[in-house]
Amino acid sequence: MNNRSLRFVGIGALIVAALFLPMVVTVPYFLQLTILALIWVVLAQGQNLIQGITGYVSIAQAGFMGVGAYCSTLLSVKLGWSVWLTLGVAPVFTAIFAVLVGYPSLRVKGHYFAIVTLAYNMVIYIVLLTFTALTGGEAGIGSVPRPPDISVGGMVLSFGSRTGYYYLVLGAATFSTLICALILRSRVGRILVSIRQNETLAEAMGVSAWRYKLFAFVMSASLAGLAGALYAHFIGFLNPDPFGVDQSLNAILAVILGGSGTLSGPVVGAFAVVFLPEYLRVAETYRLVMYGLVLVVATIFMPRGLVPLVMQGTQSLRRVFGNKR
Amino acid sequence: MFVEIVQQMLNGLAIGSVYTLIALGLTVVFGILGIAHFAHGSVAMSGGYLTFLFTERLGLSFFPAMALAMLAGAVLGLLIERLAYRPVRDAPHINAFIIALGLTMMIEGGNLLVFGADQIVIQTPYRGVFNIAGVAVAELRLQVILTTGVLIGIIAYLISRTKTGKSIRAVAQNRPAAVLMGVNVNQVSAVVFSVSSALGVAAGALVGALLAIAPGVGEGLAVKGFAVLILGGLGSIPGAIVGGLVLGISESLAAGFISSAYKDVIAFLVMIFVLLFRPEGLLGKR
Repeated sequence: MNNRSLRFVGIGALIVAALFLPMVVTVPYFLQLTILALIWVVLAQGQNLIQGITGYVSIAQAGFMGVGAYCSTLLSVKLGWSVWLTLGVAPVFTAIFAVLVGYPSLRVKGHYFAIVTLAYNMVIYIVLLTFTALTGGEAGIGSVPRPPDISVGGMVLSFGSRTGYYYLVLGAATFSTLICALILRSRVGRILVSIRQNETLAEAMGVSAWRYKLFAFVMSASLAGLAGALYAHFIGFLNPDPFGVDQSLNAILAVILGGSGTLSGPVVGAFAVVFLPEYLRVAETYRLVMYGLVLVVATIFMPRGLVPLVMQGTQSLRRVFGNKR
Repeated sequence: MFVEIVQQMLNGLAIGSVYTLIALGLTVVFGILGIAHFAHGSVAMSGGYLTFLFTERLGLSFFPAMALAMLAGAVLGLLIERLAYRPVRDAPHINAFIIALGLTMMIEGGNLLVFGADQIVIQTPYRGVFNIAGVAVAELRLQVILTTGVLIGIIAYLISRTKTGKSIRAVAQNRPAAVLMGVNVNQVSAVVFSVSSALGVAAGALVGALLAIAPGVGEGLAVKGFAVLILGGLGSIPGAIVGGLVLGISESLAAGFISSAYKDVIAFLVMIFVLLFRPEGLLGKR
């Protein structure tokens, strides 16, 4: 079997497994975590676009997630719009917001960019916390509605249950991964990679880098907005807590742990970031310390992330068993 | 009105000194090693907790306790450099940043385990308030500003007048050339980390005396420290001083005259505004 068909079989198996997962997994806790992880896939794919592919580390992903979450929630709760509509509006609104804040921050590079975006996240967080008339502040907004049911030819798809919502977020995660794949394989994607490798050279070749950087930043923010909206309507309660800087750092971790610049990396990383702290909960008091330690050790010993490490491993295994490709 | 402005600026000067101390430690590390040492704020907080312990348990007065904590901080800095940052020295900078995030979690978690989750305030004997032409001047604030001034003086002397300082500057200017000239880079980064952590601890102790220490304060301090760096110019020591004072004063003025809830927002807006016109910072070089 050659490499290509092996890959198709692998992806096919993954799709089948993903489709039948809710029937096999009956523990609600596990399904809950899986749904959160899939929402994180959307977030991490966005982060990967700006961090892994373009090489600009943005620390505002959770802030943008918050913008999307509050946009969708406020429109559906206060104005009574349909959740399906607000789920579509949220990423667009976040994108517009990102254009406005992205322009000044993309004038600077490297660490400066990282810290400016960090400041954005702090500003968004503080505003969400303080502007109580609109956001409800720390007390938050209760009973955020789930999307209404859809009936297709007599079959009713309900999103009130975990299983129904699972398929919704599975679709969103697949959608965001596909979008990133399309971008990565297009001319735009190649330009973004060239900006990461050598921005000065790319500009000398006639690329107006700021446009592409802005595009990557806005796309990444808009995916974060979608993730935020999905999160708010899933949990059903919204306050600013999940949108602090530490959550943005988690998004960066997801990308780094999985393998930055790859397509499957953010998926693996998202699951790692959601499940790892839960499993470390066994050692409740040492959880934060352990999590930090895992991170430090992982960065020192597998700096390129899990996915490239596994790929390398399978390749050397093949070489050992003399399987010519 | 005028008195009020002077009053707020004075308050801003005190909190700005703390920011300056934090930023000074960050800027030395950044200028010499190119590491965005995000865990610095948490190190500062451990220092604050230690100072608190030394004053409460050992009965030391504030400044000896702070000096002792600074010593402990220097050792912690050495360990951090040796165990966490040195292995990724030749990897891309983002890796060092991730290490910094991991360290932040570890140190924050450690603080929580060792010192508990309660908010603490370090008691000092400096409780007097002078009244100068209608402006209330708290003795503690003066002490904070004075301590910062002394520490900045010591660092300036260390960097500009000693042999170690010379090798630090050499590594900052051109690392390979410094290595070729026989500068021991490992030693330089060890010195830089211990000095920077000691400065951070001093800042933590001052925060503990001036405001309060609680879990999560450290990250906020680190972010403020980086904002100062951006304002002043990354890697620039005068920039850290000017940036710290500008941030502290604009924050106090914002709290006094606009809205205390949004004071951080306004401080960050000042930073973003400066970046729009001077992307290299107030005192940075292009």
